[in-house]
Amino acid sequence: MFEREDETVERVIQHLRRPVAVDPGLDARVMRQIAQVPREERRGRPLLWPLLAAAAVVATVLVAQPWNRNAASTADTLQFVLVAPQAASVALVGDFNDWDPARSPMQTAHGAGIWATVVRLAPGRYRYAFLVNGVEWRADPNAPAAKDDEFGTPSSVITVGGRGS
Amino acid sequence: MILAALLLVTQVAVQDPRLDRLDPDTRSAVAAVVDSARVARLPIEPIIQRALEGATKGAPATRIVAAVRRLAVDLGIARAALGTSASEAELEAAVAALRAGATPQVIARLRDARRPPLTMALSVLADLVASGVPADSAAAAVLALAPKARDADLVEFRRAVERDIALGAPPGAATSVRLNAGALDITPGSLSSPGTPIRRSRP
Amino acid sequence: MGIHKVEPSDAELVRRVRAGDTGAYGALVSRYRDRLGRYAVHMIGDREDAEEALQDSFVRAYRSLARCDDPARFGAWLYGILVNRCRTTGARAARRRRMFVRDAQALDGAAHADQADRLDWTDAVDRALARLAPDYREAFLLKHVEDLEYEEIAELTGAGVSALKMRVKRAREQLQKYLREAEHV
Repeated sequence: MFEREDETVERVIQHLRRPVAVDPGLDARVMRQIAQVPREERRGRPLLWPLLAAAAVVATVLVAQPWNRNAASTADTLQFVLVAPQAASVALVGDFNDWDPARSPMQTAHGAGIWATVVRLAPGRYRYAFLVNGVEWRADPNAPAAKDDEFGTPSSVITVGGRGS
Repeated sequence: MILAALLLVTQVAVQDPRLDRLDPDTRSAVAAVVDSARVARLPIEPIIQRALEGATKGAPATRIVAAVRRLAVDLGIARAALGTSASEAELEAAVAALRAGATPQVIARLRDARRPPLTMALSVLADLVASGVPADSAAAAVLALAPKARDADLVEFRRAVERDIALGAPPGAATSVRLNAGALDITPGSLSSPGTPIRRSRP
Repeated sequence: MGIHKVEPSDAELVRRVRAGDTGAYGALVSRYRDRLGRYAVHMIGDREDAEEALQDSFVRAYRSLARCDDPARFGAWLYGILVNRCRTTGARAARRRRMFVRDAQALDGAAHADQADRLDWTDAVDRALARLAPDYREAFLLKHVEDLEYEEIAELTGAGVSALKMRVKRAREQLQKYLREAEHV
């Protein structure tokens, strides 16, 4: 009798442990909501970036495994770096963030003047630039130049290869 | 008729909220381009991004509208060269290559020489020209590498050429030196005669 | 530069989000969506309310990410937010649960009449679960379905370990009882 009752509960547990498929649209809803979060709210603890050896550092490419099983292509996680010791702020803007300076503000180690941020990019070709102090446009000295520049300011190009491109 | 067109334009302008960053006149002109692109089954995201770039950079309305119109036209040319199965990323890269000086014929040859995706090959072609390599040298180099090289190899090739140029090598020479280092010999003139065989260079 | 394949850890993803890469948060959402969703669905008993609680929890976690003291244990921290959110879930779910209970009781009555149909077993489990007191259900799910240690559950819920063990024991007894009743329908 005791054993049988224990078996019942075990059956219940096995039933409840089965995976539950949540609506995958939830991801997009969450991301849309957090995109509305004001910038000030997003700042966490200040980060300490390791000092980079030289300004000749180019974008480091970390190829991430697609953890979202629904993803058709493999996205790359890339680090963008700009050396700007005199800058008070640097933003990364480009085709991957609607050229919106608020979307990818860059961080610097205290006093080091080396600004960096990390962005995840699906395969494709992206024009981008750095906006320094909200007013000065700079290309990435370590990336190919975007030659077709119609707006009179310098831009750079990053191309991410992979399936789905 | 005009009213219907205006209504259609208004509809499109409402559809992508990102275009709200543009002033109303610019927005409706851009929306019209977006709409034509959509009808022509061309990718619209690059067009929107180009408009947003102009908005962020504070460009005058006329420049923004000219830029998106030019892009839409070039996307059409790219698609004609690559074929209707080309992806958005391939089309964008092809536009860059075209603007760098590659002809639609070169693009079509690349399509025949390499399995998709062609994004990286087209990008490398455009980027080589951006570094100073003459367009036909760049095209010849990429076409030579296209059949066998992986995307990563093409990127490495471009970086090697750029390093050489930075060290003072003339861009055209830098390209052929790097190609020869890969035991392939091709000269720019061979592009005009598609049947020219590729000879292995002697060590 | 080397190209290497890495699956970023939770700590790495949290670091990136804090550095301004909002997109990295999407990876955390995908990683935890189904696992946390399972708890929310069983705890709340209603798919829609559960997904709302889940979505809400993810957004709350993002907004208070600065207060996640140990990014390597982001998952556990996120669980805590979800457990709390499920407790305050709307009146709608509570009303529905009371309906369940009424139905179950009505069926109990019908069990002695001739016309009661045999309940589908999984339905019976859901109803039995719904009949548990919320803190019994919470403790049972966290211990037996989500496989947390009692110490972890204590941290999440604020209850003591011995109180939790008692709740889990009571939950098991009651589930057995309700399911036995359902079998006799």
